[in-house]
Amino acid sequence: MSNLQIKVAAALSRGTGSEVPVQWNHDRKGVLTGWCQLRGPASILPAALALAGLEGRLSMVTAYLSAAAKLRGVRELAYHFDLDGTTLTLHLELPLLGARIPSITPVFRNADWNEREFMELYDIQVTGHPDPRRLFLDASIEPAAFERLIPYSTFSSGASSKALWDKVMADNPGETAPGAGATGYPNEVTP
Amino acid sequence: MSTKVITLGPRQLALEEPMYFKVQVEGDLVVGLDVIAGQVHRGMEHLVMNRNLYQNITLLERLCSLCSNSHPSTFCTAVEEIAGIVIPPRAEYLRAIADEIKRISSHLFNCGVIAHVIGQGPLFKQAMEIREIMQDTKESIYGNRMDLAANCIGGVRYDLTPESAGYLAGQLERMKAPLDELLRIYATDPAIRDRTEGVGVLTRRDAVDFGVVGPVARACGINYDVRQKSPYGAYDRLHLTVAVEKEGDVRARALVRLREAREAVSLIGQCLADMPAGPVWADILPEIPAGEAIAKSEAPRGELIYYLNTDGSDMPARLKWRVPSYMNWDALKVMLQGEKVSNIPLIVNSIDPCISCTDR
Repeated sequence: MSNLQIKVAAALSRGTGSEVPVQWNHDRKGVLTGWCQLRGPASILPAALALAGLEGRLSMVTAYLSAAAKLRGVRELAYHFDLDGTTLTLHLELPLLGARIPSITPVFRNADWNEREFMELYDIQVTGHPDPRRLFLDASIEPAAFERLIPYSTFSSGASSKALWDKVMADNPGETAPGAGATGYPNEVTP
Repeated sequence: MSTKVITLGPRQLALEEPMYFKVQVEGDLVVGLDVIAGQVHRGMEHLVMNRNLYQNITLLERLCSLCSNSHPSTFCTAVEEIAGIVIPPRAEYLRAIADEIKRISSHLFNCGVIAHVIGQGPLFKQAMEIREIMQDTKESIYGNRMDLAANCIGGVRYDLTPESAGYLAGQLERMKAPLDELLRIYATDPAIRDRTEGVGVLTRRDAVDFGVVGPVARACGINYDVRQKSPYGAYDRLHLTVAVEKEGDVRARALVRLREAREAVSLIGQCLADMPAGPVWADILPEIPAGEAIAKSEAPRGELIYYLNTDGSDMPARLKWRVPSYMNWDALKVMLQGEKVSNIPLIVNSIDPCISCTDR
């Protein structure tokens, strides 16, 4: 077992107050990947703190609702962390209804967009998020968009450029859009 | 001084894709930023769960244009990891060649745009003309200037004949002197230094705080490149010098990209020299079992990560990915703080943003 594997197991166990078994895999190139299951949502903040102590970086958060999990009455979250090239994934289960999870933005600032995104796509509430507004989807679209049928024309904010611009400007009724000269910027370039 | 809010769209921001900014200004200085994303949100993470693993290669390549090869190649790596598929050594080199050609084109496009934004028309033209060598190369080898359709599960869908490998080597040779000259101009030209040095600074500490990756992180002194930290494909056999700068400004980001473009020429040369003969795809593919995998690659804008969860069918139970631009947007809040309004387009473009990738 490498030094990193020992450190991760110790830090997670110390942080969460219970033993957290981690399954480690080496791929053919020798790249290490770790997988573990946290007991519940209350474990995520101490686990994040433990990984921050190892100079970990939050890579991504995956929310998902598989058919198998649905049958068990749960939904799942996976937090993926980078530890200098090693990826560690922390899985946890949340109830299907009334799912809540504390924000890890106090530990990892870049959790902000990840949490806002899964809040609008799935029926999960993040507690303590500093800015829990919609990230990509318009406020008029029903919540938990990935859990219901929404017509594509409604789903896509940019379906009409005029409608889009009206939405963007809606909060500033007194403001007029600056022309290209306002920033001294010339025309855009296409690839 | 009173604070005003101005709304900037893609035209004012010099972007070819839609992203809107609400910028708080005091006088002509930026004091706050709110990024309004989602104008090209297509629900692609939902769409991929309604297509089988093979169809998704085609869909993912259309996620964006500049880093289009990174998505299918990383996705295929995730599938191969779950199924235990070992791709032939020649295919590993061919994947690296496709990725590096795309990296050169992507980086030169951004350096051209930076020149355009600061009013250096001839330099813009020069960068785009050099890039055109790679665009022609893509068209000749892959039949397309942007989406290469190079990847399949188990390998690649193209091969290089001795003749086409010779052509590619010749095209690389044509790139070397112009790329060196472009790097010299960006590094030393007083007019360019005046517009890019000390502008849009992101400190190393802030870069770590925001979790930025790729050239934006490496321009702040963070020596992290997936090709070296988590080698995949042929990269464990290629000699890679990671480009790192310390200043964290617009100039440092441009220099990192230009050095990476030059390094990519070297990497493709190494691939051509070392690539063994043999098949380019695995002959027999197994059933894709239930499982989960992480796959990562160094896309032109930095670390690209895919998470794939399968249930034994040919449809993904969950496919999630995070693009490098995702964190870089939020870090603009720091880069723009205290900067002049007129510098906003330059600083925004210096993160080389990919909006189709961000929104999905």
